[in-house]
Amino acid sequence: MARAGGSSISPLDTTPTSPHDREIQEIRQEIRRLEQKVDQLQNEDQQLQKTNSELKAKDTQLKADTDQQIQNLQSNVASATSPESFAEAMNQYLGRYRFTIAGGVAGSFIYDRQNEINTFNIAMEPIFLWQISDKMLFEGTVEAALPGGSAADFELPVATIQYFVNDYAELVAGIFDQPFGDWYEDQSPYWVNRFITAPLPFGVNALIPPTDVGLQLRGGMQWGKLGQIADYTLWVANGPGYTQASCAGNTPPSPLPSCSSTPLVGDTLVSVNNLQLNTHTPAFGARFRVYPLPVDSTLGRLELGASTYDGKWLDGFWFNAWGVDFNYFKDNFQARGEWIQTYRQMPNGLGADNRQGWYVQGGYFLTGLAPAALPAPMQAVIDKLEPLVRYSGINQRAAVQSEILTNPAIGFSGSPAVFAPHAREVALGLDYWFAPSVVWQNEFDFELPRAGGFYSDTGAPVGATRNDRAFMSQIAIGF
Amino acid sequence: MDKMRKLGRGSWLIAALLGYVLGFCTSALAQQSGASSAAEQRALFRRGAQLWPIYCNTCHNARPGSEFSPAEWNMIMMHMRTQANLPAQDAQAVLQYLKASR
Repeated sequence: MARAGGSSISPLDTTPTSPHDREIQEIRQEIRRLEQKVDQLQNEDQQLQKTNSELKAKDTQLKADTDQQIQNLQSNVASATSPESFAEAMNQYLGRYRFTIAGGVAGSFIYDRQNEINTFNIAMEPIFLWQISDKMLFEGTVEAALPGGSAADFELPVATIQYFVNDYAELVAGIFDQPFGDWYEDQSPYWVNRFITAPLPFGVNALIPPTDVGLQLRGGMQWGKLGQIADYTLWVANGPGYTQASCAGNTPPSPLPSCSSTPLVGDTLVSVNNLQLNTHTPAFGARFRVYPLPVDSTLGRLELGASTYDGKWLDGFWFNAWGVDFNYFKDNFQARGEWIQTYRQMPNGLGADNRQGWYVQGGYFLTGLAPAALPAPMQAVIDKLEPLVRYSGINQRAAVQSEILTNPAIGFSGSPAVFAPHAREVALGLDYWFAPSVVWQNEFDFELPRAGGFYSDTGAPVGATRNDRAFMSQIAIGF
Repeated sequence: MDKMRKLGRGSWLIAALLGYVLGFCTSALAQQSGASSAAEQRALFRRGAQLWPIYCNTCHNARPGSEFSPAEWNMIMMHMRTQANLPAQDAQAVLQYLKASR
């Protein structure tokens, strides 16, 4: 390597001849070692500078990469964590089609004065929903209740496949709540019914079968402003069946007429799942409903409905039914009512088994009505109260004495008075709403049957039926 | 008895024919109600916010969106569309409102 200033010294310049020369030579050798050392240090310095430059370049690149990554993360955070997108991501993660359980449970205390009944009761009704596809849903309802003197009673009131054909039509096949009127489909769940019991035409002595097995076509459409809608339900099903009176013991020498296999005027309807064995003709039903007021109307919300249900209950013998219903609510007030007429053609020359049933009810939420002078806790209680009143009745020519039930159940006090040919009931209710679907219900029933009619299994006139009083208290939860 | 059986078969045939005709007619009227854009979803939300307290309270107290997950609301609204015969677009709007207001 060339030295600055041209002072490079060769080791072969001279041969030492004297101490002075040797000293000079040693000095030169020392200078050469130093020069070599300097060269080595310069090389190392250059290497270090090169390394330093490379590190600086890498550092700059890393900073740039980090800045970019931070920017990416910030943009991802800003754009991808809305509740909707998170929910959608969760849905995709958990699976496209799902299964869930809804439904209700009720626990009640029942007191009936006439039968001197004091009992607690409980029932639950889970609804299993399985979304098979965007257009298809399976719905199954199991009702588990406690009958008198037994462990548990299970029923299958609903098991349907629902297929949405398009925006205006849906097919429903299976066991379904009878779409006649509003009661069975829309008002019967424990926490939806404002009262504990059903109105008389839909209770234990029902005029229309609560459930049926068959096929429905249904749908709804908007015909005017927002909320002005109309809907229809058409169905074909197995049709009604009637309990045959149990007249065990009505054989001679008993003075009562024999009736073990004879249909009687006043027979009670088979309650659920009409697997029809006694007729080859199905029943046909139709229901139409209209909502004449738009959602922004200051007049409230009004629903008007009409239903018909017709078929053979026995080969060659017709059952016809039709009814009208209404529902109205505005602010804290709600009212609803239904009227039903049924005709049942009877064999053996018996006159027609005609029946009529009706109910009208009203309720008013006390929300916002508590006097300002009351303490806040009292106001909070009053805000959640809903007083109610209902009047219902049934007219029929006769009742079958051996079919009268007195075992209380969820929604039934056990009073035999509701089986009178001219049953009347006034029900007073007071509901306390813990939450939109959690309610403590209290109901006083006044059974006020009118005289008239006869017991068709004994032939005896009914005469004046004893009035009855009942009190029920129930906690109902919709889940 | 044979006459009655024929009547029974005829009734089923009429019912099936009626269902087919109605299904065909309503298919002709059918429109897709899916909402794709954000603007459409906002419009659905506003529509659902109007309908939710009215439609639900017709039968029972309206339950808030927070009570169920979006996936559960999908199924429950299919169930409620059947129970109340809700128009498809209205059911979609209420569903959008319930899922977005959680």
